[in-house]
Amino acid sequence: MTAPSQGTALTIETMGTMVSVRLPGRTGDGQIEGSRQAARDGVDAVFQRWNERFSLYRPESELSRVASGRLRLTNASPDLRDCYALALQWRDQTDGVFTPHRADGVIDLSGVVKALALEEAGAGLLALGHGDWSLNAGGDILVHGQPHAGGPGETASWPVSIVNPQDRLDVLATLALGTPLRAVATSGSAERGEHIWTPSPGTPSPFLQVSVLAADIVTADVLATAIVAGGEATLDLCTRRWPIEVLAVLRDGSLLATPGLRRR
Amino acid sequence: MATVASVAVLGVGWQLGVQAVDAGQNLASATAASAAVPAAATPSTPTQPAPAPAAAVSATSTGTAVQTRFGPVQVAVTISNGTITEVTALQLTNHDGRSVMISNRAAPVLRSEVLQAQAASVQNVSGATYTSMGYAQSLQSALDAAGF
Repeated sequence: MTAPSQGTALTIETMGTMVSVRLPGRTGDGQIEGSRQAARDGVDAVFQRWNERFSLYRPESELSRVASGRLRLTNASPDLRDCYALALQWRDQTDGVFTPHRADGVIDLSGVVKALALEEAGAGLLALGHGDWSLNAGGDILVHGQPHAGGPGETASWPVSIVNPQDRLDVLATLALGTPLRAVATSGSAERGEHIWTPSPGTPSPFLQVSVLAADIVTADVLATAIVAGGEATLDLCTRRWPIEVLAVLRDGSLLATPGLRRR
Repeated sequence: MATVASVAVLGVGWQLGVQAVDAGQNLASATAASAAVPAAATPSTPTQPAPAPAAAVSATSTGTAVQTRFGPVQVAVTISNGTITEVTALQLTNHDGRSVMISNRAAPVLRSEVLQAQAASVQNVSGATYTSMGYAQSLQSALDAAGF
């Protein structure tokens, strides 16, 4: 909703959260401002489209009509069915820990929709000619290129801070995001945990928060959610099965990290 | 029999989820290296049993180099009286200029032990999803407004 101004992030309110878009480079120039505005509008359009179709908060969304029985899944759009199929694939790959089904049986695709929107928004920025950008949707981040103009052959990564779940104005660590690990997603058991269903209901997650760095944002998002839900067994399964880095915060505030995140 | 079984189990462990590469590719140098492994070399894990007595029957086998997502990995195993006494890494790979541990298992760390990126230009904070209301009080909103 905010108009772009020099040096600041472009922000978009959508999906009940805020999306921040960073496009490094010179600003202030009229032509560049126009291209920033086009980029912001493109990202906005992508998120609005996914939200209109898949939000369970909107009674008229396609997914809400499936949930209420007004629309048969077999008659739903190919996009919706593809999205559901993708979520089911992740359910199988995480041994059932990640699931697109709410406890009441309703199909809830919020575990993948935000990440898919981020992915599509990123592809849109590339199509608009932006090679350097970061997209942050409510704490899930996807980056491309570099955070600032570098010399030839220079590759800089994007520093990303991980919030302290016990003090949201504090950060636990600042990690480098960039090829091959271009995405990070963080799931918590305390805040907006509505899409996290633990395999044994009533059992709290051993983790206050789990951050996953991965090559793509869908993998990062799904696995962060799965590890919070499945606990240490799922953490071990995921670090074995996928090329990811994980920073997990246990309930007492202590940390677990994969070797790639450790100082040596 | 015990010797064969140990080697087989280890072999399976190394090949799980990874694709074996041509064993001959690195064998020549690997065999030479394994022969030169000193008995007092530091064990690769803290759970290694004490070295066997000098009189024990001892043999060293070289595993196949396997392709992992970090690159090729190969080990030599020394077995004395049916017990693995030594596991030596012959090939470990480099990832972004830092050596990579064989296991990617997450383990306890202190906050000061987490690798810190150059933090001068942080533009993004990752955390559990904030609401559009919560955003106003978030670090992200401060960074977004600050124009970094």
